[in-house]
Amino acid sequence: MAKKVITRRDFIRVAALSPLAGAVAHGMKRMKGAFSSGQSRVVLFRDEKALVSFKKPDPEVVQNMLDEAVTTLLEEKGPVEAWKRLVTSSDIVGIKTNVMHYLPTTPEVEQAIKRRLLDVGVPEKNIGIDDRGVRRNPVFQRATAIINARPARTHHWSGIGGCIKNHIMFVPRASAYHPDSCADLAALWKEFNLIDRTKLNILVMLNPQFHTVGPHSYNDKYVWNYKGIMVSRDPVAVDAVGLMIIEAKRREYFGEDLPMQTPAKHIRIADTKHNLGVSDPSRIELIKLGWKEGILI
Amino acid sequence: MSNDVRGGEVDLGALLPKEINGWEAKDADVLYDPDTIFDYIDGAGEVYRAYSFQRLLARIYTKDKNPRIIADLFDMGSSKNAYGVFTHDLEGENVGIGQNSTYKGGLLSFWKDRFFVSLYAEEETEETRKALLLLGKIVATSIKQEGEPPTLVDLFPLENLRDKGIRFFYNHLILNYHFFIADENILLLGQETEAALAAYAEGKELLYVLLVRYPGADKAMDAYESFIKTYMPEARDSDILRTENGKWTAVRLKEDLLIIVFDSQSESHAQSIIQRVLEREE
Repeated sequence: MAKKVITRRDFIRVAALSPLAGAVAHGMKRMKGAFSSGQSRVVLFRDEKALVSFKKPDPEVVQNMLDEAVTTLLEEKGPVEAWKRLVTSSDIVGIKTNVMHYLPTTPEVEQAIKRRLLDVGVPEKNIGIDDRGVRRNPVFQRATAIINARPARTHHWSGIGGCIKNHIMFVPRASAYHPDSCADLAALWKEFNLIDRTKLNILVMLNPQFHTVGPHSYNDKYVWNYKGIMVSRDPVAVDAVGLMIIEAKRREYFGEDLPMQTPAKHIRIADTKHNLGVSDPSRIELIKLGWKEGILI
Repeated sequence: MSNDVRGGEVDLGALLPKEINGWEAKDADVLYDPDTIFDYIDGAGEVYRAYSFQRLLARIYTKDKNPRIIADLFDMGSSKNAYGVFTHDLEGENVGIGQNSTYKGGLLSFWKDRFFVSLYAEEETEETRKALLLLGKIVATSIKQEGEPPTLVDLFPLENLRDKGIRFFYNHLILNYHFFIADENILLLGQETEAALAAYAEGKELLYVLLVRYPGADKAMDAYESFIKTYMPEARDSDILRTENGKWTAVRLKEDLLIIVFDSQSESHAQSIIQRVLEREE
């Protein structure tokens, strides 16, 4: 195979767009409440039995995956202890889900989260699950804690839709964040007081989407059974890892290093400009648990 | 030069049948405009806004125990916008519907006149494929006129032009989607400029030709200066440069037209392509 030569186009692309470029932000002052240690932890848990069929998760397996991932993330003895580090019984908790018709967060993931919130002692009336209605939802309007959960998928305008982007529904006019391929999505976390309130980011990798076609940006052909769940306190770190997995899948599927149709530069900019979290892989502690076949990272 | 809306209001719903091979449109159609499109297709709506779309009519067809079929009919305001948005996504086979079409994996797209049509089956089966193709033919027939593609694309020499190799657009983000040049808008593209990108076979490799028509010679000069300064400052006097991969990038400005050849294997070939574009311009 011929040696890959870095051209000025490649250089500009890498310097401007890749999470690797987050290295330049090393040492930058971070937002209050963000990740002052300079390193972020991401836990990826995969289970071969996560799906009973294509895009249909097994609820019990999903509960175990989430429990193992959160427990490891927070280094606690069990899932309830871990969740008590995230929320208290007096919290009002919004589970920010994603209802995209073809690839939702899934009720199984939503219910696995809700079950642990109930175990912590949060009253059911103080738990809300919503996506497009969060601005009108009374629970979200009063929420003291938010659990951010959505699937990973390529996105026509922002490169990928991940945990950073999932909070776009808190914005009255989402298109205000669309310029320059959604470069400044991270700014909405500060503008809408979401940084400290978001206690956990869950990037659902059960069936990630790695390529986008058509007005609905979706085709089953470009979704695969990865059977994973990733969790982190840091939305940027979990998205950066998700992006690397999707890029690896694209290389595997297309047989070449096919760049993302739209570069997901908002992840790198969330780090270097908005200080929302860490995008540099060298500063992400990735813990991989469970099934390893086809892990791609 | 502008993206003028040609023709009057059309009843978009009347261009679609109520039933196709047992799939029926039972729910009311939904009409979206450039402000409300995000309620329907989220950020992907920006692609259609980048081509100045006017209205979108969405209709869902259902049939017992079969996947849904979703028809999206875009009034793009002009035929060049319809042509352009069609060239944004050229994956698939041409199935001979409308003025150009693609079909792949349960998604049929075509353009005709000022309309771009997307017909999508949520799962591809032999039945949905037949229904989509028949639906496409019916819609294409109900659109009576044909439209003119943008004249800019006529400037591309035909020799070695790759099948499905031409993209037409206005926006630098769309350019980067197809061929990344720079994060910043160094070519000063916008709704008042027309741009087209073509891929050519050169042996086993590809070279790309980018044409941009500016609203005036002054704007074209500004863009030329910006490109030279940012992308190939070493070539300020020569307009041609061998880049890091050993291939040649050449640029030429003629009045309001900017021509750039990327990744040619030889200096002479890059120059000859520019010359052939200029001959077609005259």
